Amino acid sequence: MARFVGYIAKRVASYIVMIFVATSLTYFLASAFMSPRSNYESRTPRPPQESIEASLDATNLNDKTPILQRYQRWLGGIVTRWDWGQTPTGVSVNEEMSSRIGASVELMSLATIISIVVGVSLGVYTAQRQYQWQDRFLGGMASLFMVIPTVVLAILIVFAAIEINQAAGSRLFYVTGLSSYEGGNPLMTFLDFLQHILLPTVVLTIISSVGYHLGQRTYLLDEMHADYVRTARAKGLTKKQAIRKHALRASLIPTAVSVAFSIAGIFTGAVMTEKIFAIHGLGEYFINCINNNNIHGAVAVAAFSGACTLVGALLADLFAAALDPRIKMS
Amino acid sequence: MAEKANDSTRGTWVPQDDVIRYELLEGNGPKGAPQGDPIMSVRNLKVSFATEAGRVDAVRGVNFDLWRGRTLGIVGESGSGKSVTALSLIGLLDDNAKVGGSVKFDGEELVGKSDEQMAAFRGKSISMIFQDPLSALTPMFTIGEQLEETLLIHNPQMGKQELRARCVELLRMVGITNPEERLDAYPHEFSGGMRQRVVIAIAIANDPDVIIADEPTTALDVTIQAQILDVLAVAQRETGAAVVLITHDLGVIAGTADDVLVMYAGRAVERASIDTIFDQPSQPYTMGLLGAVPKPHVAAEHRLVPIKGNPPSLAAIPKGCPFSPRCPMASGKCFEVEPVLEPFDAAEGHLVSCHKLAEIRERHLSFQEVYPELEPLPAKWAEVPRDQRPVVLEVKDLVKTFPIQGKGLIRRDRGTMCAVDHVSFKIHEGETLALVGESGSGKSTTLMQIMDLVRPEHGSIEVLGRDIATLRNNRERRELRRDLQVIFQDPMSSLDPRMPIYDVLAEPLRAQRWSAKDINSRIGELMHLVGINPDYVDRFPSQFSGGQRQRIAIARALATRPKILLLDEPIASLDVSIQAGIINLLEDLQVQLKISYLFVAHDLAVIRHISDSVAVMHLGKIVEQGDTEEVFTNPQDPYTKALLSAIPIPDPKVERSRERLVYQDGKLVSSSSLLPTLEG
Repeated sequence: MARFVGYIAKRVASYIVMIFVATSLTYFLASAFMSPRSNYESRTPRPPQESIEASLDATNLNDKTPILQRYQRWLGGIVTRWDWGQTPTGVSVNEEMSSRIGASVELMSLATIISIVVGVSLGVYTAQRQYQWQDRFLGGMASLFMVIPTVVLAILIVFAAIEINQAAGSRLFYVTGLSSYEGGNPLMTFLDFLQHILLPTVVLTIISSVGYHLGQRTYLLDEMHADYVRTARAKGLTKKQAIRKHALRASLIPTAVSVAFSIAGIFTGAVMTEKIFAIHGLGEYFINCINNNNIHGAVAVAAFSGACTLVGALLADLFAAALDPRIKMS
Repeated sequence: MAEKANDSTRGTWVPQDDVIRYELLEGNGPKGAPQGDPIMSVRNLKVSFATEAGRVDAVRGVNFDLWRGRTLGIVGESGSGKSVTALSLIGLLDDNAKVGGSVKFDGEELVGKSDEQMAAFRGKSISMIFQDPLSALTPMFTIGEQLEETLLIHNPQMGKQELRARCVELLRMVGITNPEERLDAYPHEFSGGMRQRVVIAIAIANDPDVIIADEPTTALDVTIQAQILDVLAVAQRETGAAVVLITHDLGVIAGTADDVLVMYAGRAVERASIDTIFDQPSQPYTMGLLGAVPKPHVAAEHRLVPIKGNPPSLAAIPKGCPFSPRCPMASGKCFEVEPVLEPFDAAEGHLVSCHKLAEIRERHLSFQEVYPELEPLPAKWAEVPRDQRPVVLEVKDLVKTFPIQGKGLIRRDRGTMCAVDHVSFKIHEGETLALVGESGSGKSTTLMQIMDLVRPEHGSIEVLGRDIATLRNNRERRELRRDLQVIFQDPMSSLDPRMPIYDVLAEPLRAQRWSAKDINSRIGELMHLVGINPDYVDRFPSQFSGGQRQRIAIARALATRPKILLLDEPIASLDVSIQAGIINLLEDLQVQLKISYLFVAHDLAVIRHISDSVAVMHLGKIVEQGDTEEVFTNPQDPYTKALLSAIPIPDPKVERSRERLVYQDGKLVSSSSLLPTLEG
């Protein structure tokens, strides 16, 4: 156990170094390419030069200050006050981020869980019916959804939902945002949330379950023909039982690894879907940051995504070690 | 179900036909003739597969009965249908298999049963032991879980205590020490031999009536093989089951089987009691099979006689007798009509399928007459005694260590492991030295060290009088490499599948900067040398059979006219009838070209046949070294003695009368003293 904790601590320490290096590089890159100054200069009427400089200095975004000096102040803020800086308009990145992460988690949690359940089940179902019509049909659908760009799929679903709304004569589905009910009835609040979340969840589920479906199918097919499945059948299990009890377990190891990364993805949100459904999550925020020359915001999102990915990697290893006795975490 | 058959119904289901009538006469073995009713009856079993290449008839009408307590050995080469026969008994064939005929287990017809219905028989009445123990156990479950599962499937009422007790008992029965602790171990913590013991424990868990063992020892080292065969015998004694032992190794059959069925191209070609088959093999294929194997227990007197050609593809079985294209006796009718099993000696139940049966019987034909090309061994360059010839390869005090690494992301060295431990030997011109040892003994590592041509960690390697530590650069290394070539075990993977044979053979010559004209003529020469039609140079490796591919690999190695060939298990992946041809080729080439061989192998029979001297390796050290005959007839080191006593000998009478020795912590003990003793 002590060795296990030591091993995890070592991994975490090396991750922190990695994130530090990556984030610093992002900071320098973002500072080189983004120009918050232009945000002020393009305003009409153009603010006086002194006030532009003053605002840029206040937010630590002035490109006339040497980069290392800005970096030092920015880094100092993070290390001493966990302050990730300000947007060009002077808003705290920390505050913006936290509300955005909340929205992303609301959107992604359900979609991730459903897509794992649906995708893995379809994979198992089709693997056991390899080359039968069910497998061919579902495989064809999966390929179709894989090649349709998210944007196209989302817009198609939005169109369909609007058609249904019109046909029904009332608003069954909302196509933007996450909530619109203002009252205090918790049941109504929940219903309102469901009406909003349904469409983006459908889009996200379709997109990400395809990967699980095809992946799980391949992994299970590999394991189904393993010698030990034959041994299990020779013991007296039927083919289906042998697959369920022996092959499935092994085939879940690679799936668990991608699940681990998906868990990390819950927090970083989905760029396209958020943009289309006007959900103010982290994915949308990232795009906005880049568009608005929000250096600190963009770097913070990059750092957070990096951290999530590394947590995902650690989780992936833990999952694999939990499922496969041949792997030892020490 | 099995239990339902009581005394009043028993017997009525047993087919009363010629098959069983002759089988009941098979008494020429240690257990005498079979008694009572069989437990399983197989009649006219036919299995075919629908494949892209058309319908493949893997089994074409096989008949046999199994008696409790007896072992039926099914012998055959790859593609003879022996494994398919086994799988069809237990209902584990692929879904695309079509099974016809009848398989009756204690009166109940199994052919046509669904997977669910068969599941009730599998593991309970009929169980199976597979070839590769490394992949036969589920890596994610402990040994205990997998054993308990076997018991629970058929006895769901068993309690936890009871299960555990039975598992411990089973592991003890198959000779696993500390069974209580080992139950919680995972398969990867076990060696191959230990895992095969667990597989056997699983197979006998529910006291089956029939145990099918499909090449149970092929993947194992010779000493482990001997132990597993002992365990199998214990398993049979404990359960009283009928055993079907499927193998290509006639030595394994000799020591274990009571009755033998020889299969060729999906049919039985000969069937008899064990002693009859070895005393009087009467089908030309059986004669060839027995004649083609080198004998580990007698000195080589003459060349091996290969059966010409290759086993037929089951998708295109030749017309007439399927063996006719390879049979030295075949004529007329043999090419037209397929023969059926007929009594050779009705009194002994000896059945043979051959049109030349009468001729073989009347003239008492045996292997020597049927395969007339029996020649004495080629005279080994006798003018100069071996020890007076120049030394071509000398290894002195060679050491190779590997760091033992800690596991995990950051690997720290945890000491070193000595894979090759002060190994010394020399090879003279035209001499064959065999490095013998089990897996992990360091023989392949030694070979790799020589092949690398870099200064060893310790000691020296001298090739043709040149110490390789003095090689200054890659150009000198390349020059030396011309004289030192290597042949690997698996000709399938050692030849680039996308290169025509011409390019395969030209590559080493181009590397040595030969001119295109010289390369051309050299390739013609090489193809002649290894006995392949030179017109085939533009074919790809996949168009050749395994034996031909190994010939091509030999031709490639010979391309640069080397003085020394390093052979790493060159025949281990080939069928028995093909091996003999390759061994003969190697012997001829040595006589013609005066090459020296460093031969790494685990098959001691082959080594006794081909090598002049032997070095036995154990745990990185050479424990014994000397002239082959000297070492085989009068071994000094206890490990060598144990190794030699573990070889299965293709002679049932010798097999039965000898006592095996086991090497344990530097001492020799008799194997019978190690057999698991059982309570009660």
